[in-house]
Amino acid sequence: MDIIAGLGQGFAVALQPINLLYCFIGVFVGTLVGVLPGIGPVSAMSLLLPVTLSGTPESGIIMMAGIYYGSMYGGSTTSILVNIPGEAASVVTCLDGHAMAKQGRAGPALGIAALGSFAAGTFALIALMLVAPALARVAIAFGPPEYFSLMVLGLTVLSFLSQGSMAKSLLMAAIGILLGLIGIDQITAQPRLTFGRLELLDGIGLVPIVMGLFGVAEILSNLEQELKREVIKARIGGLWPSLQDWSASKWAIVRGTLLGFFLGILPGGGAVIASFASYAIEKKVSKTPERFGHGAIEGVAGPEAANNAAAGGAFIPLMTLGIPPNVVMALLLGAFIIHGLQPGPLLMTQRPDLFWGIVASMYIGNAMLLVLNMPLIGMWVQVLKLPYRILFPLILMFCIVGVFASGNAVFDVFVMVVFGVLGYLMRKFGYEPAPLVLAFVLGPMLENNLRKSLILSHGDFQIFVARPISAVCLVLAGAALTAPLLPALARRRAALPLEP
Amino acid sequence: MLRNSELWGGLFWLLIGGFVVWAGHDMGLGRLNEPGPGFAFYWIGLLMCALSLSVIGQALVAGGPSLSMLWAGTRWPKVFIVVALLLAYGVGFEAIGFIPCTLALLLVLMWFVDPVDWRVALLVAFIATFGVWAAMTKWLKIQLPAGVLEGFLR
Repeated sequence: MDIIAGLGQGFAVALQPINLLYCFIGVFVGTLVGVLPGIGPVSAMSLLLPVTLSGTPESGIIMMAGIYYGSMYGGSTTSILVNIPGEAASVVTCLDGHAMAKQGRAGPALGIAALGSFAAGTFALIALMLVAPALARVAIAFGPPEYFSLMVLGLTVLSFLSQGSMAKSLLMAAIGILLGLIGIDQITAQPRLTFGRLELLDGIGLVPIVMGLFGVAEILSNLEQELKREVIKARIGGLWPSLQDWSASKWAIVRGTLLGFFLGILPGGGAVIASFASYAIEKKVSKTPERFGHGAIEGVAGPEAANNAAAGGAFIPLMTLGIPPNVVMALLLGAFIIHGLQPGPLLMTQRPDLFWGIVASMYIGNAMLLVLNMPLIGMWVQVLKLPYRILFPLILMFCIVGVFASGNAVFDVFVMVVFGVLGYLMRKFGYEPAPLVLAFVLGPMLENNLRKSLILSHGDFQIFVARPISAVCLVLAGAALTAPLLPALARRRAALPLEP
Repeated sequence: MLRNSELWGGLFWLLIGGFVVWAGHDMGLGRLNEPGPGFAFYWIGLLMCALSLSVIGQALVAGGPSLSMLWAGTRWPKVFIVVALLLAYGVGFEAIGFIPCTLALLLVLMWFVDPVDWRVALLVAFIATFGVWAAMTKWLKIQLPAGVLEGFLR
């Protein structure tokens, strides 16, 4: 099926009224959680995962995807107006976005963020359409060794790109794999680390773990200190950037888009790293780097384009290989699995309506976001004025309800609380939750492919290096593991931002 | 040295790693051409031990913040109270029901933990609790425990 025909079929799916509604709910909720500090796309997607059960797979996945790229848009609003990033990918937007707002230029900052995001999101979609079918054809040749090595590469790169000690990040990845393996063994049907609890036979649920590590832990950490927010009080008008603003931003948007897209595809990469990398590049190529941090519009345009392009690029490994490159995509994989679907090279041939429907919905969602972000900015400002002391009890309530609804078991609520405390302590002790969650999702696949590979090779580990794709992945993983030993790379790694 | 938080973090994971190695061995390692159910656990446990030792080594060489420093100047009792409230909520959730438990949780959080005007708290708690109840049970058809209000809500 060629791309145009596929896209036509996709629009036929995405334009169905129910899918339009789900798409709207997704981008609206995404923008809302992007705007609100203390709840990000990961928590919101976990919260709404059970809701997808009540609709068709395409409706649910369209909504989940909308939350992700919607949050990338919404995050910029809080960064610019309050100097508090709504989600991690917008941290860098605070630097120049809020400085512009203080100079009375909040309108152009918000405008360029929305328009740059739209341009980048659209590019990422076109690239997704062109790259995904080609990659899927290659991926059909992948066997268990290739999948195993690719997942090892993903986890290693994520650990490398995580903030702080690499040993701690790898430790978290190991814990994640371990947690993912709890329950009945797929091959021998033997219960593993269930401690005699019936609730653990099916394993630990993804939703309670994610809600605990990202939702509850975030609240506990925020409660520790008084959150002070100062919303820009001046009237926000003139959202359309001037010609001078456009002239200063256009190449920043192009560079941010290309960089973000490629970092999004990278296993372990993501929107946060893309936005920071884009900011660093813009500052480096600028003839007046001293303006950065004091209201340079390129410092808003580049990172905002980068994080949106990365959000689009991240769909490629999930859709073509069935491997999530980051935590958000891991949740999307969870949504696919809940509906009995397996993303991967066969998705495009077996369910072209679903694949192209999601792609087409992203075009529509991007247009919806432009409409939501430009005229409704006043409403988002009002949302920002909601005090955190009212917000956090509500977020806690949604976490509990979301977790209970995902498995209809109170046990899951306790699991969430335990992981909430664990996540809080992990933040305190400098351990990152992202490698744990990604490894939790990949763990069962990783073990399955390892065991299959060893059975295929009669116990010979050379199978992992004898096959070229697998060998390349392992060499790259080895390079990522040893890179921090080089002092120059270790210094660069120390300056990396927090993912997801 | 003994107050070093990095050291205690590393020791904790070393203990867990050791347990996982033992558990993996206990489950059965199988053979290389037919790995058993404990094969992955065993090797992950060993990896965890090695990584924990690396964290411990780093802590011994470079030091780290003391345990008390991690909580210095924070409002940690609020964290403790919220966790206790969530556990109490979990215990009472099925027997008492979603509506009374959630109302109580929201009101305690907004009246005592991080106080807001009591009228605002009352309004928010009632709207949120009954709104979520209606959305979940009527719209999404997801059952929440009715508990003591079983007779009224039927």
